[in-house]
Amino acid sequence: MKIWRAWGLAAAVGVLATAPPAGAHHAIIAEYEMSVTKAFKGVMTRFAVINPHVRWFFVETKPDGTKVDWEMSGAGPGALRAAGLMRAFKVGETYEVTFAPVKSGANVGRVRTMKGPDGKVITLFHEDPTNPLNQ
Amino acid sequence: MMHRRMRPNTNLAVAVVAALWLAPACAAPQQAADEQSVATPRTPDGKMDFSGYWAQSGGEGVKADEDGNVTILTRQRPCHPAQECRPAFNFARDSGLRRRMDPNLPLYKPEFWDKVQDLDVNGNAKDLIMKCYPAGLPRVGAPAKIVQTATEIILMYQARAGAADAPPTNTFRVIPIDGRDHDPIRSQDVTPYGDSVGRWEGDTLVIDSVGFTDDTWLGWPGYFHTNNMRVVERLNREGNTLIWQAIVHDPEVLMEPWEMTPVRRTLNPDPKALPVQELHCEDRDLAHIGNRER
Repeated sequence: MKIWRAWGLAAAVGVLATAPPAGAHHAIIAEYEMSVTKAFKGVMTRFAVINPHVRWFFVETKPDGTKVDWEMSGAGPGALRAAGLMRAFKVGETYEVTFAPVKSGANVGRVRTMKGPDGKVITLFHEDPTNPLNQ
Repeated sequence: MMHRRMRPNTNLAVAVVAALWLAPACAAPQQAADEQSVATPRTPDGKMDFSGYWAQSGGEGVKADEDGNVTILTRQRPCHPAQECRPAFNFARDSGLRRRMDPNLPLYKPEFWDKVQDLDVNGNAKDLIMKCYPAGLPRVGAPAKIVQTATEIILMYQARAGAADAPPTNTFRVIPIDGRDHDPIRSQDVTPYGDSVGRWEGDTLVIDSVGFTDDTWLGWPGYFHTNNMRVVERLNREGNTLIWQAIVHDPEVLMEPWEMTPVRRTLNPDPKALPVQELHCEDRDLAHIGNRER
């Protein structure tokens, strides 16, 4: 009894403390495998600040020399604008990227983290539901 | 015995949490009263003055931590332990539920119920805003910035979380308010925002619009309309509160005019605030959509 009441109270606190962004352009879960994490390391070739989601384009060079093109999607421009990140991404620099892949199997994904050459990590994703208050 | 007594409390907790999450935010009554107690400005010719910026130009975002890392995590309603759950799961489904749970719905004639349902279910493919098509009127919602002269009113729009389905990319409407009739050519056009003319009814500005394309929707859940739709908007102001309401007349498909719930906007108090310049829209998602989740 006490455990369930504590959970309900914690959930209510979480709801009141954080407001979900509304107005999704389409359901992310229709496009991406949100529980899967993949990664690559590549050079950014383009940063497209567009609606409804910003896009980063990369080229990964495999150990055997083959090139793989990647396209990553992120939050809307407003989120980056509010966080002062509109000029944080540099074409020509190398990033370590983790992402949730698209359901279509293409080299496209929803970015989770981007680690730049300066070692700083930018996380742009949805919270882990197993840790809803990110504690 | 103990387990059966626990279950109603758990369900109640979930219901309370869900209701809090899904219900629209309630304005503080005292704040609303304060905004309306301000004298309503008027133009030199005595008309209600709607000029102003009725939105936010962006707020403070997430700041970097001490190591320079930035974390922007979209949060969602926590999952029930018995629920299938993964990142963005509740975020996406709550968004859809929220759009459909408005009790004020357009009442379609029975012969169109199947069409509405089909459009809703297949919205990923059939809702043209997914391809960056304009939201159209009245789906674009209340204006963000208004410039009013003696003879015309200019309505400008910007994206506002939760208020519109798609960012209205640098959308504006220039509307004569001298009581003229519709232009005979423009009123027969087929555009997302139609041909609009305005007139005063006391302190209410009434904007009448015709000449619509039927490619746009009234709302996200498959609410289509014909190109013979007529939209009547009513603008009022109480102190620093703008009140916008749209009434949709489409007798070919609706059983009665749809009086949309009035939208209230508060005047931005910062005299230096400027509307957000929207970036262009580009569809790069539809090719990768794997199901009909919306």
